[in-house]
Amino acid sequence: MSFLKRSPWIVHYDGASCNGCDIEVLACLTPRYDVERFGVVNTGNPKHADILLITGYINEQSQPVVKAIYEQMPEPRVVVAVGICATSGGIFRECYNTKGGVDSTIPVDVYVPGCAARPESIIDGVVKAIAVLEEKHLAMKKARAAS
Amino acid sequence: MGERTVIPFGPQHPVLPEPIHIDLVVEDEHVVEAIPSFGFIHRGLEKLVEKKDFHEFTYVAERVCGICSYIHGMGYCQAVETVMNIQIPPRAKWLRTFWCELSRAHSHLLWAGLLADAFGFENLFMQCWRIRETVLDVIEETTGGRVIFGSAKIGGVRRDVDNDTLKRCAVKIASAAAEFEELKKVFRDDYSVKQRLCGIGMLSRDDAWTLGAVGPTLRGSGVRTDTRLEGYAAYNELKIEPIVETACDSYARCMVRMHEVTQSFDLIQEIAARTPEGPVFEKPSGYPNGEYFARLEQPRGEVIYYVKGNGTKNLSRFRVRTPTFANIPPLLHMLQGCELADVGLIVLTIDPCISCAER
Amino acid sequence: MTRNFLAGFAYLLLAPVIGALLAGVDRRITARMQGRRGPPILQPVYDLLKLMHKESIGARRTGHFFVLGHLVFMMAAGFEFFFGGDLLIVIFAFALSSIFLVLGAYAAHSPFSHIGAERELLQMMAAEPILLLTAMGFYIANGSFRVEEISASPVPALLWLPGIFAALAFILTIKLRKSPFDLATSHHAHQEIVKGLTTEFSGLSLAIIEVTHWYETIMLLGIFYLFLAPYPAAAVLLVAVVYLLEILLDNTSARMKWQWAMKSSWTTASLLGAINLIVVYYWLGVQP
Ligand code: SF4
Repeated sequence: MSFLKRSPWIVHYDGASCNGCDIEVLACLTPRYDVERFGVVNTGNPKHADILLITGYINEQSQPVVKAIYEQMPEPRVVVAVGICATSGGIFRECYNTKGGVDSTIPVDVYVPGCAARPESIIDGVVKAIAVLEEKHLAMKKARAAS
Repeated sequence: MGERTVIPFGPQHPVLPEPIHIDLVVEDEHVVEAIPSFGFIHRGLEKLVEKKDFHEFTYVAERVCGICSYIHGMGYCQAVETVMNIQIPPRAKWLRTFWCELSRAHSHLLWAGLLADAFGFENLFMQCWRIRETVLDVIEETTGGRVIFGSAKIGGVRRDVDNDTLKRCAVKIASAAAEFEELKKVFRDDYSVKQRLCGIGMLSRDDAWTLGAVGPTLRGSGVRTDTRLEGYAAYNELKIEPIVETACDSYARCMVRMHEVTQSFDLIQEIAARTPEGPVFEKPSGYPNGEYFARLEQPRGEVIYYVKGNGTKNLSRFRVRTPTFANIPPLLHMLQGCELADVGLIVLTIDPCISCAER
Repeated sequence: MTRNFLAGFAYLLLAPVIGALLAGVDRRITARMQGRRGPPILQPVYDLLKLMHKESIGARRTGHFFVLGHLVFMMAAGFEFFFGGDLLIVIFAFALSSIFLVLGAYAAHSPFSHIGAERELLQMMAAEPILLLTAMGFYIANGSFRVEEISASPVPALLWLPGIFAALAFILTIKLRKSPFDLATSHHAHQEIVKGLTTEFSGLSLAIIEVTHWYETIMLLGIFYLFLAPYPAAAVLLVAVVYLLEILLDNTSARMKWQWAMKSSWTTASLLGAINLIVVYYWLGVQP
């Protein structure tokens, strides 16, 4: 359905990051980058969201939280790992408290590189995520038709 | 007396993008107790000194926090330089000060936006962040990064900025400063803003002092302190008057930060005009051996770095005491007895940076 | 009579469409005021269609039931209004509709939606007196509670009821969930209680709440139209101006707390509304 494409709502969670990427995610909402042009709304509520933007890697304490947020999101949903430490642990990879990137806990669909990831690349990541969302939606429909 | 319910605040919460969890025990909408729990963002990066060599660690230190990242990197460098007895060239000192003030301006503007968002004034949030983009432009033009500058280096700064660029930046900052004055008026005079801020989150002078508040939180309660008066980097050649408000409420803390942005903009102009010529880097030789405490003023307050070297390429200990960490006890004190509608706001008035606090 | 039915059905069909467009224009204007470009005008429609395709999780069956009640009573209230029926019935059906939403929020297990529901009730308490005053005002001015007869009167009600008009404009902000009264839930998420009232709804239920909100907006604007009913062009202009002012207010104020909301709306109600009512009552009483 092309409507998913036109109205991706996001929820943002800060895993264990340095904030660098978080403030860039927020900067995407503001006048210079204004992602609302594409219908993106920062809902702040996983139950309303289609796309989960996660910054920072996963540690012992945040793992259950990330899982809970992911499970609260209605299907179809897409996860975007923003920044290099969400991708692999980045500069904190060797810390004692690291579980690894976001994909150590939940399936990730899009990786956004950069430390800190620039707003442009975050928007790019969201656009890619929209395409994935569409695919998942089609797959869901097919599965429903089959059953 | 209403029934007691526990309302979770965070870790995923729209008002504060960072993960901190506070269990709010409420009666109707009245907060009786606030119980925090931490660790969602603990990385343990202080221990990384054992794995990364002391030059490389500058970049880790910058990632203690992405908002005031530059000052973290620079504070670490300053501590190591003192241990190694390196005198950095004057131009490097001035450039460092330049970036420090840019960091402060951008951090406070960011904060002002988040605060506006917390009391539901979306337009104001957008305007704060719009002006902040100009500051980020200047940062990008001089360092190449937007939030993580990566331009501090043990022995000086990573790269020089030519004087033309400095001049150009000063002009840009002047325009941002003019726009900011308009914005400040809204924070200062708007009826609905004052309704939400005045008299909310009281922290008396004595409480602030005994609970160990730092930075604007302390200055908003009428204590005249500012670590910049210590005169690190080029601050000894600049005239700095700490901004103090005596109302002890959220409005006072907000006004302290507002005036500090103006102050930073002025300082940036002065620095751009006065930066001396010369080299920007002094090559360090050998390995650090010894220990030192460095104190700097972050946008959020005083930060302390402890480094201990043992004559090898890895330091044996690094420790940072960040301002948010110091401001959490005052915060919990303020939360007791407040209204639920004010929680987000009060949490924000200490300008929390959980990433700093938990490292 | 057929004309009345036609008007009623036209409302049922067109209100969501116009409401959606209005919401789109609203978001666009808001974005412009904030120095942004903003989404396409049709964005609310896209959002709605998307929500209808999403899985509805969390909400239990009772939740769905209440949300449906919310929609049905809102449609009933609007239908009655455009049908030309009794204003009092309109107002009670409208109140009932809001109650259903509150019950729906209470049915969910979330402290956020509970607090949102409590605040919604408080806001209703703040707004309801003025709605009733409006109905009374119309009755005194025209001798009837029937919308049909009010709109047929040659003298615009605005002449008699400027105070009530202002008071009604004041509570429109509450009903439209705009700053400074976006306490229970708001269009932007950044709230201490997340999305408040609507936190626990997702997918289709959320879509229904959204549509109901559009029905609500159109009906409320209809009441404003009634104030200048004899001059349709001027009335439409009036409605547009009122709506624009709402957007402006939304963008120039912070969110207030419920104590303030109650105090201010009751003060306005008693000052503007009641005094207006008393004056008109005696005035019309003197010259029959
Ligand atoms: S990727 Fe870099 S900038 Fe982003 S959160 Fe991680 S350390 Fe910070």
